[in-house]
Parts: sequence; structure tokens; C-alpha cells
Amino acid sequence: MTLTNLTIYSTFMMAMAGLTLHRTHLMSALICLEGMMLAIFIGLALWCSQMDSMSLSINPMALITLSACEASTGLAILVATNRTHGSDLIKNLNLLQC
Amino acid sequence: MAYIIFLGLFGLVFGMIGVASNPSPYYAAFGLVLGAASGCLILSGFGITFLSLILFLIYLGGMMVVFAYSAAMAAEPYPEAWGNMSVVFYVLFYCVVLGMGLGLVDSIDVLSIVGEFSVVRSDWGGVSVLYYSGGWLLLILGWVLLITLFVVLEVTRAVKYGSMCL
Amino acid sequence: MNPYALSIIMSSLAIGTTITLTSSHWLLAWMGLEINTLAMMPLMIKQHHPRATEATTKYFLTQAAASTLILFSTMINAWSTGQWELKELSTLPSNMMTIAIAMKLGLAPMHFWLPEVMQGLNLMTGLILSTWQKIAPMTLMLIIFNTLNVNLLITLGFLSILVGGWSGLNQTQLRKIMAYSSIAHLGWMMAILPFSPALATLNFLLYLIMTSAMFMMMILLNTTKINSLTTTWPKTPIMTSISMLILLSLGGLPPTTGFMPKWMILNELTKQHISTIATMMAISALLSLFFYLRMAYALSMTQSPNQTNSTTTWRHKSKKMTILLTATTTMSIMMLPISPCMTPLY
Repeated sequence: MTLTNLTIYSTFMMAMAGLTLHRTHLMSALICLEGMMLAIFIGLALWCSQMDSMSLSINPMALITLSACEASTGLAILVATNRTHGSDLIKNLNLLQC
Repeated sequence: MAYIIFLGLFGLVFGMIGVASNPSPYYAAFGLVLGAASGCLILSGFGITFLSLILFLIYLGGMMVVFAYSAAMAAEPYPEAWGNMSVVFYVLFYCVVLGMGLGLVDSIDVLSIVGEFSVVRSDWGGVSVLYYSGGWLLLILGWVLLITLFVVLEVTRAVKYGSMCL
Repeated sequence: MNPYALSIIMSSLAIGTTITLTSSHWLLAWMGLEINTLAMMPLMIKQHHPRATEATTKYFLTQAAASTLILFSTMINAWSTGQWELKELSTLPSNMMTIAIAMKLGLAPMHFWLPEVMQGLNLMTGLILSTWQKIAPMTLMLIIFNTLNVNLLITLGFLSILVGGWSGLNQTQLRKIMAYSSIAHLGWMMAILPFSPALATLNFLLYLIMTSAMFMMMILLNTTKINSLTTTWPKTPIMTSISMLILLSLGGLPPTTGFMPKWMILNELTKQHISTIATMMAISALLSLFFYLRMAYALSMTQSPNQTNSTTTWRHKSKKMTILLTATTTMSIMMLPISPCMTPLY
């Protein structure tokens, strides 16, 4: 395992731990999701460059397209939550608990 | 070049610790900007210049502007930066976790292959391959972008609920 | 919702699952899952009330995190083995993949989102969420079954059966009960998956049929609580007895279809000499059976204490389409006799 791999894996794990363990705002949960996507993008681009193949470089492009779609959907949900709940605090999302 | 890559890797991890340690969204967005900029640095350090440019344009140019703008929805009277107690605690926690992770890995190979700059890079060619022979993949990606438009419009449609209706 | 937007979104829902089902490259499979999730959002938030918004938020966060984890584990796999083939997973990525797919499906330690999301939806979307949305992740699980860790799968499966039965005991809301029932059924599939994927497929198909029958019954009767189940009789008298049989089939009692997968799974597990786990699974299934029986009791053994003041509604001709309900109900009640035809297949 190279230092680069280790860094990318630990970056992803940091962002995932941040998303799952403690969030105050929905906004920062979305930012964590973006951080996970960023780590995967960098890892994938480096993998393609190590393989040194032309057709593999399509993969990071497809990835970043879908991650942009996901980010925009997340922001749209943020707006919808803000409309109905008045703020984007995660602790306000408690209507459906048992 | 190895120093630039090392700087980028350092910035990536610490930018992400800054995001994960639960500060206010303004500062979290700043941490992500730091991470994305470091990512660009890493990619261009390895010689993947075109994807680095795309990352710069899409992440920093497009998405981060929208994120910074949307952070206004999460405005608080007293935002928590990395100086506050709870955030400092989480930063230390993640640093300890990172150190333990480093300890668990038995051997780290510091060597990595660094490509040199040249006129034709495989990544630049690869993106044009997507348009040249991408076929169904290109179609699917376009379809995803189209349905995202529909999804965003449907999700944020104005209704009579909530604080921001007319 | 605008019918044009609805048609595009419904077709993307279909396209997403189809892409995942037909792909042999992990990135394409991931894209299919993403399309599925994206297309589900507007259906869930359709009413725009606070509960729908909250359900959508929770669904989005869990699904996005899980599919990112899927992509991350395939990236690790690509770094270590150098390919993206769907069937070739090494140990660490396959464990991460199991956890990620379990989170997408709502298996036991990662199940907390499912009842809450289900409670915020209307019944039609709940039907889609508990049947169609399970197909793509379950198929991925069936494709990669021989690289998965047996102990992890059995633990997930047993925990799901136990938790699904136990937490459902406390509920009075039908959608939450159906969510817990879905968790328990998926637990049975996970427990048998490493030994006999064909049995897991059979169980999955029967789960789809029985759950759609139950949801369509709820749509027909327009009930979401156990309370309002007791007023079934003035609406459709024939459904009072038939839906009791559907419920018993979900619980897995012998003359109905639901008994077939449980019987075969217990048989297979005993053949593999893990009869302790099999016994515990069978006992935990009693917990699920208890709340099915309670629903059946409220549905058909009791009558509403007050008389109806108006004409009972079954006298009017209903405009609801019931052909699918008829088909799935028949299949979920009467398919046990064909189980000898199933056994040579497996």
C-alpha cells in the first residue's frame, strides 16, 4: 500500500465517520457526502493513470457527473426540508420516530 | 514534484478532518474547498492534468459556489469554528483515529509512480473517448442529468407549506 | 404531479434497476443504483407535507452513503486486483460490500431508516419502496454470493429476523409493521444466501408477491392503522377473510405459500449442520407471527362496535382496479402444493 492509497482511504473513512457519527446540520451531512465522493474521484483518477489506459479514463468522468447529480438532489432536499421544518437541523427531523 | 504531492495529500486529509469534526456549515464548506484544492494538486502532481482541471472547474468553480450559497440556509448566530471546544475535541479524536490507522498498516511504500508532463496524456484522450465511442454510457449520463433536472424541480416545487412560501 | 414528469420518473425507476441487472461492470451497477435513488425522490416527496419531506431526507442520506460505500469498496478492489468485474471481489471489499448492500436493503444493524421512511410515504410509494427498490441490491447480492463471508451473512440474517420480529410487536401503524416484516423476510434470505442462492431467490420472489398483495389490500381498503382494519367489513366483506389468509401466509403458516420458503430454508440449513441457528431462526419467526396474528385478529375476528349509519360501501360498484390484487392474492395463498415442482430445480 502506498502513501497515496492510505491517504485516500483514510480520507474516505474520515468523511464517512463524520457523516455517521455526529451531524448538527443537514448541510454539513451533504458536505460530508461530497467529501466521500471527492476521495473516490481522486482514487479512481489515480488508478486510471496507473493503468495508463485511455478508455479507463471515462470512469472518473462518469463518477463526477453522477456525484454532481447527487449533490444537486441533496441541495434540493435541503431546500425542501427548510420549507417544511423551518431549519436544517438534523434533530428537527423527528416526526416519524417510533 | 514529490513535495507537491505530499503537500496535497496532507491538505486532503486535514481538509477532511476539518469537515468531519462538525463545525458550522460555512467552515465545513471551507474545509471541503481545501480538500478539493489539495485534490487538484495531487492529480496534477501525478500528471493527470485534464481531470485535475475538471475537478477544479466542477468542484471549486461550480459546486462549491452553490454549496457556499446554500450554507446561508444553515445560518446560526454563533457559528462554531475549529477553535470551539466540541470541534477541537472531534479534531483531536479524528487525529488519534488517523494515527491508530497509520499504526495498523504494517508497511507503507513511499514510492509512487509520477508521470511526467507531455502533450498527449491518456486521461485527456480518455475523456474524448467518451464522446467518440462512449455510446450507451454517454446516453445514460445525459439521461441522468435530465432526470436530475426533473427531480430537483419536483422536490423544490412551491407548495403551501413552510417558511419560504409566497 | 405532472404526468409527463411522472412518466419520465417512472421510466427512470425502471431503467435504473434494469441497468443494475444487466451490468457486469461495478461502475455501471453503481450508476443503476444511483438512478434508482434519484428517481425515487420525487415520488416520495409528492405530497410535500413535513413527514414526506423528512422521509425523503432520511432515504436520501442512507442510500447515498450506502452507494458511495459500494463504490469505495469496488475502488479498493480495483486497486488490489486491477479489474471491475462484478464477480471477482477480494475479502475486504466483499465484506464492505455486504455491509453497504445491507444498508441499502435495510438489514438489521442498519435497519433504522426503513420503518421511519415507510411511515412518511403514501401506500403506493410504500409498495414501490418495499418491492421494486429491493430488486437491484438483492440481485447484486445474488451475483456476488460466492465471494461473501458466511459468518457475516448469517449474523446479519439472524439479527434481522430477531429485530424485525421484536420491534414490530410494539407497532400499531400498518406501514411500520410492513417495514419490520420486510426486515424479517430479508433476514431469511441473507441467512440462506451463502448455502443456496436459488432458495434465496425463491424466497425473494415469494416475498415480492406477498408484500405486494398486502400493500394492494391496504390500498383497496385505504387503511394505515390497526384501528381502521376493524372497519373492513362494511367496505369489502370478502376481503376480511382473504386478507387474513394473506397475513397468515406472510407469517408462514403451513397451508399457505409463505410456508414453502421457510420450510425449505430450515431444511437446507439443517442439511448444512447448522441446526442451532436454524432453531433460533424458527423461534424468532414466532415473534413476527405474533403481530401478523394480531393484525389478522383485528381484521377478521372482531367487528366494529358501532353500526354504520349509511349504506355499506360494498353495495357501490368500486372503480379501483383489482386484477393485480387478485393475481398476487391467489399466488400468495395457494402456491404451496406446487412446492414439489420447485425442489428438483434447486
